[in-house]
Amino acid sequence: MINTNISLTNFRNHEHTDTVWGTHVNIITGPNGAGKTNLLDAIHYLCMGRSFTSSSDLYVVKQGHSGFLVKGSFTGNIRSHFEISCSYERGDGKNLRVNDSPLERHADLIGLVPVVLVSPDDKKLTGEGPAERRSFLDSMISQTSPAYLDDLIRYRKIVRQRNKLLTDLGHQPDRLEQMLEPWDLQLVETGSRIVAKRASVVRKFRDYMEQAHEQLTGSGMRPSMTYKSNCIDGPDLTGDNIADGDIRPAYSQELAASVKKDCERRLTVIGPHRDDLVFFLDDMELRKFGSQGQHRIYALALKMAQLYYYTDALEDLPVFLLDDVFGDLDARKTDTVMNMLLQHPGQSFITAAHPDKISGFTGIDDQRIFEYHIEDGVMQQLIRGDDGLST
Amino acid sequence: MQLISETLEQAVEQLARLPGMGRKSAQRIAMHLLKQDNEQVFRLSKAISDLKKNIQYCSTCFNITDKDPCPVCSSPKRNTGVVCVVEEPKDVYVIERTKEFTGRYHVLGGVISPLQDVGPNEIRINELVQRIRNGEGISELILALNPDAEGEATGYYINKLVGPLGVNVTRIAHGIPMGTELEFIDDATLTRAFAGRRTF
Ligand SMILES: [Zn+2]
Repeated sequence: MINTNISLTNFRNHEHTDTVWGTHVNIITGPNGAGKTNLLDAIHYLCMGRSFTSSSDLYVVKQGHSGFLVKGSFTGNIRSHFEISCSYERGDGKNLRVNDSPLERHADLIGLVPVVLVSPDDKKLTGEGPAERRSFLDSMISQTSPAYLDDLIRYRKIVRQRNKLLTDLGHQPDRLEQMLEPWDLQLVETGSRIVAKRASVVRKFRDYMEQAHEQLTGSGMRPSMTYKSNCIDGPDLTGDNIADGDIRPAYSQELAASVKKDCERRLTVIGPHRDDLVFFLDDMELRKFGSQGQHRIYALALKMAQLYYYTDALEDLPVFLLDDVFGDLDARKTDTVMNMLLQHPGQSFITAAHPDKISGFTGIDDQRIFEYHIEDGVMQQLIRGDDGLST
Repeated sequence: MQLISETLEQAVEQLARLPGMGRKSAQRIAMHLLKQDNEQVFRLSKAISDLKKNIQYCSTCFNITDKDPCPVCSSPKRNTGVVCVVEEPKDVYVIERTKEFTGRYHVLGGVISPLQDVGPNEIRINELVQRIRNGEGISELILALNPDAEGEATGYYINKLVGPLGVNVTRIAHGIPMGTELEFIDDATLTRAFAGRRTF
């Protein structure tokens, strides 16, 4: 999928910005605070319907205004040309449109333009708790499977309903049991589908991870990962091809056995919302043994692997967003990443504070690289001529 | 934005409480009403106040009606052995439009949803059990509830409750609606329709 152009109105520090993008590698440079990341965030809005830097749409509105608008055109294999817009108005909320017709549900947008995001937040993937890794997995699968996203939304709703029952009826065990049953049946049904899908995706994903990690490091160290669910015993669900029907009986038992604990904590403790994805490097658990540098490269490799996985699994190539990734990498790794982007046929967007960070590449006359500079709210495309750069 | 007129502000505030209405749309409607002639606006406000004053619930099926029992429950042509259980009165109209269903209805007036503090006692499940016990001759319940988590939970609950009373409980099939173009079906429904495909 190619984002051919984008227009931002009252979006963060962009009062009005209109840009035509290159179809391959796009590099956005400029001083800190100039609005580079905001451009990536605007593209992210069109793909996922939300910001990756802010938890609320309200914070995205430019100061002194009541709403924002982002609009972009896309071309792809399945749908040759279409436009996505996302508008937000304080009090009226958010509106997503495809070719001017409003989307009924936010979920209908997900997967239309697959996106992979590399951001400084990625260090949480390997360094923090399981929630970050579940969210990575859920976001990755949702973009390839609307049915999975549907199950996730439904599952979360059932958990919330169930937790409310635990709170309301925790002191009446008989009544609680009767009232829980209709939710527990659905919980196990939907939850088992989620566990089975995650396990099967992780099984395929491992190969892409090995490939990406090796390309980035050339170290010969082997990354691997296991998916651990508390619904069903066993160290790893990704070994065999497991179906939701294989999970249901064990899940039901675990759920029934934990009712007392659930009541005490007024929370559902069993289910895929508590599962974990465990990362290994050469069979050592990364969280316990990895160095800072190994963590950083591992997180980047996960995103490169997501890019390669989508490239094989989806009809349309994903849009690849890299926010400030080079700040942490040395010159050789920067070269490696740039080479990987140039070899990949898809479109990518990279922000960098200092153009000299990627000078090895901006120095060469490569038609596939488009450069943009943003400063004082003005965005300009840099044109490379015989006598150097001009605007 | 605060409006200049307190009266207008009141109207906008009330309109904005309606489902699916934002403050902006409420302002647009209020301004539209101001431009209408008195007669038109009076007819609208009378219709709204009559709605609450004149409409009552059928004491058998709890559908909304002008007279009790409702036309369906009092019709001799209806099969009293089959009762279709729906969430809201509007569902009755949707099913009546098909002209296929010849039984009676039972309108629950909602679905079980702990988050909204709605349990079985807050909707008309006990009344349904009473109807079965009272010898109306009900032998089959058709559950026509929405396929969301709350509709499903309500269905499970009713099934469990009335099963021992010797009533056959069925549910309507959910899938791709007839007469709907494929391109208008959401992806998840279509995925499930593929999973549930049958030999031609
Ligand atoms: Zn009636």
